[in-house]
Amino acid sequence: MNSLERVKAAIAFAPADHTPAVPQLFGHAAALAGVALEDYIRNGELLARCQIEAYRHYGHDMVFAFMDFSVETEALGSVLQYRANQYPDVVSYVLTPDSDVSALAVPDPTSAGRMPELLRAASILRREIGKEMPVAGCVLGPMTLATQLLGIETALYLAADDPGRFEKILDFAAEVAVRYGIAQIEAGAHLPIVFDPAASPAVVPPQFFRELLLPRLKRVFAAYRAAGALANWLNIAGPTAPILPWYPEAGVDIANFDYYVDPAEAQKLLPATCLDGNMKSLSFVEARPEEITAAAARLVTAFAGRGGFLLSSGCEIPLEAKPENIAALVAAARGGD
Amino acid sequence: MINPEMNKLVETLLEGDHAAALAEARRLRTAGMASERIVTEGLEAAMQRLDDKCTVESFNLLEIMLAGRAVSAVVNELYPEGMPPERGRDTFVIATLEGDIHDLGKNVTKMVLIGKGYRVVDLGKDCPVENLVNAVEREHAHAVLVSGLITPVIPQVRRVRPALAARGLGGVRVVAGGAALKQATAGELNVDYVAETAFDGARYLDSLARGAV
Ligand code: B12
Repeated sequence: MNSLERVKAAIAFAPADHTPAVPQLFGHAAALAGVALEDYIRNGELLARCQIEAYRHYGHDMVFAFMDFSVETEALGSVLQYRANQYPDVVSYVLTPDSDVSALAVPDPTSAGRMPELLRAASILRREIGKEMPVAGCVLGPMTLATQLLGIETALYLAADDPGRFEKILDFAAEVAVRYGIAQIEAGAHLPIVFDPAASPAVVPPQFFRELLLPRLKRVFAAYRAAGALANWLNIAGPTAPILPWYPEAGVDIANFDYYVDPAEAQKLLPATCLDGNMKSLSFVEARPEEITAAAARLVTAFAGRGGFLLSSGCEIPLEAKPENIAALVAAARGGD
Repeated sequence: MINPEMNKLVETLLEGDHAAALAEARRLRTAGMASERIVTEGLEAAMQRLDDKCTVESFNLLEIMLAGRAVSAVVNELYPEGMPPERGRDTFVIATLEGDIHDLGKNVTKMVLIGKGYRVVDLGKDCPVENLVNAVEREHAHAVLVSGLITPVIPQVRRVRPALAARGLGGVRVVAGGAALKQATAGELNVDYVAETAFDGARYLDSLARGAV
């Protein structure tokens, strides 16, 4: 079985030779290759090279065309501050609470900001290893994009003070996600992962998720399905137990769960949805490989009877993770060989 | 027990209605109530009620932010120059360390502590450890609060205590919080306490202020 077949089997709850190892390796690929993170996130070709190198090194089951959480907002006019070895951050947001979101146009992914570089990364990955390897892209979910257009505090206060205006911004953000995600599929990604960390119950109450975010996520995922996505993957970290049961309604096929949610509970909440998780991201920096092996083996065992599982971290593996810890995760997925 | 004169203020604060809370605080002041009492009997009572409601399982950030905004508005009205240190309450220095630009958790923690009547010096985000230590010295702070959402800041967190000790500030407590630091223990981070939530941290700081720890 190759990686693509293995991941497809997991999504379909079908038997496979072993559990797919899908560590969320993004900027760590730059660190592993000795490349400055800033160069990695600005150059799609370099990003693809580093992802391939990381794959050759670890032998895991998915590669990622993922830059950072500021690609969309930059493409829309926010100003970023770049640093050599850290992810960039927004220094000037394109929207204020009073601005009219209808003045913004959905960006053209073939020309706006770094979007074309990300598309380039996806197409190189697909061309070079994508016959056997799933290639994942990355878009921001509507809530997180809204917070990246306004600043998170401003966004949350606006949601409370003027819900109508805030919903218009969410609608716009969903449109951006649809267009950018479809462009990624067309460029070669098997699926765009929707990252919506700001939709986490760590930030907004579950009822907010259900009323305001669920309908928009539904729209986004329906569009990806129609465009031929291999599967729909929603990635929200933190204490997500209260919102997981709504994922199937959103059209989610792969649901990320973080270390806050117990595997048995996640299985109960989502009996028919493929889950990915839930190793503590920090443990890849701090723990010894034996500890990773033991924790990963426990997870593999917890899902052995059920299937529908990608062995992964509950959120991004830190840049400074120890390579031997990632290797331990991959070995554990293969049954410890 | 809430002083009945404070009912309206506490209620508007908990509703997060900052305009109404501000109007009520002004009314109390005009009626002759001392700022000090408005803080201790009004703001602190509201924070206590919020604390009782917010367990780790049912934590409504939006609600806390709205109440926090209302509290901040009232404090700004009562003390336009900032909380005076001589009020006898502890001073804390808070920051997110260099390279980390998450600041929502820090801001919420600050609002909760201000609501409890503490003086909080906010050094913002992306703050070098040196600035933190300088501020502790300058402000005669009783504790340093660091908020960390990304794991690469952990080595800096570990440096805070030795950096304080090197300046003869070894007695100053160090409290950590935020999604990345919460995954570690106080021992691993070389701090005195790791807070699960802003209220949890505030309770620890309350116990320090009472001399219980
Ligand atoms: C909002 C957010 C952002 C916003 C930040 C906006 C801002 N101004 O703060 C934006 C979009 C800019 C952002 C950027 C990034 N983020 Co971010 N972000 C989040 C998110 C969704 C929520 C964090 C948050 O604000 N929570 C709400 C607050 C209130 O909670 P809190 O901070 O934990 O605080 C509470 C308590 O912990 C406590 N507290 C906090 N600090 C302190 C301190 C003391 C002393 C005390 C007593 C208490 C206390 O008080 C609060 C109330 O109880 C989390 C995911 C999540 N679900 O947690 C990711 C997350 C923290 N981000 C993450 C990452 C990786 C990033 C980026 C690197 C992403 C990227 N790849 O581009 C960049 C970082 C850039 C940088 N250099 O820092 C990771 C961190 C992983 C790790 N372990 O290192 C997380 C976990 C997301 C993930 N991967 O899924 N992010």
